[in-house]
Amino acid sequence: MANKRKSLIKIKPKKYKDGEIVKVSFMVMHPMDTGMGKDKKTKKIIPAKYINSVKFNYNGQEITNMKVWESLSVNPVFTTYMKINGKGKLTVTYTDNTGEVHEKSKKIKPKG
Amino acid sequence: MQRRDFFKKLGVVAAVTAVVPAVSFAADAKPISPNKMSFKTAVDAITGGKTPKTSKLVKLKVPEIAENGAVVPVTVEIDSPMTSDNYVKSIHILAGKNSNSRCLDVNLTPANGKAMLSTRIKLGGTQEVSALIELSTGEFLIASQSVKVTIGGCG
Repeated sequence: MANKRKSLIKIKPKKYKDGEIVKVSFMVMHPMDTGMGKDKKTKKIIPAKYINSVKFNYNGQEITNMKVWESLSVNPVFTTYMKINGKGKLTVTYTDNTGEVHEKSKKIKPKG
Repeated sequence: MQRRDFFKKLGVVAAVTAVVPAVSFAADAKPISPNKMSFKTAVDAITGGKTPKTSKLVKLKVPEIAENGAVVPVTVEIDSPMTSDNYVKSIHILAGKNSNSRCLDVNLTPANGKAMLSTRIKLGGTQEVSALIELSTGEFLIASQSVKVTIGGCG
């Protein structure tokens, strides 16, 4: 199933060298509903729908993996560091508790 | 006729009894999470029963006062060489009084280069936020800080 959620991978600084440690952020527009909230109009409980796993894969190697719980804020952001180790691709994949899967990639192009 | 009325009254009383406590404690009412887990249970689940050591090496940054409990920034940083024989294996963020005190479990590798995690969490009310760290040596460290929440973020 194609996932159309808006997401973004940000790397800071934008220009980096091989061996440099850069900040990497992944953010996605996701409701992160806990299953405890009520719809203000219908008064019905909004079913739980939250990201439960995020994985960072750099050139075929899983460098970070996260187990996410429903208490993360809406439109979650995950920021960590990564060491630049060659040209290639960073792919972030998430799943949510309803089985939704989403993948976002960013090219890694070190200069010098 | 009488019995029917009696049961009707009983039903009303029961309904009112059920509703009144929820309404009167509305300000403090904590919705129950499908993943309900207390802080202590969460820590034990992560450490396998070991007591984590409070450590200043764990730099936990959270606001003292969060105006909006729905979006509370949390940053955890640990000074670590992040080499294969000495690195931060995982960072766990816990919210002591949320129905489910577990917020995030991050497994790092030396490829991260530095041990840091930053995100935003929901807090149901004023409580302590903790960063529980597992080192590659098997040691567990912890740092906690209280966050005052004016508007709870879980509803």
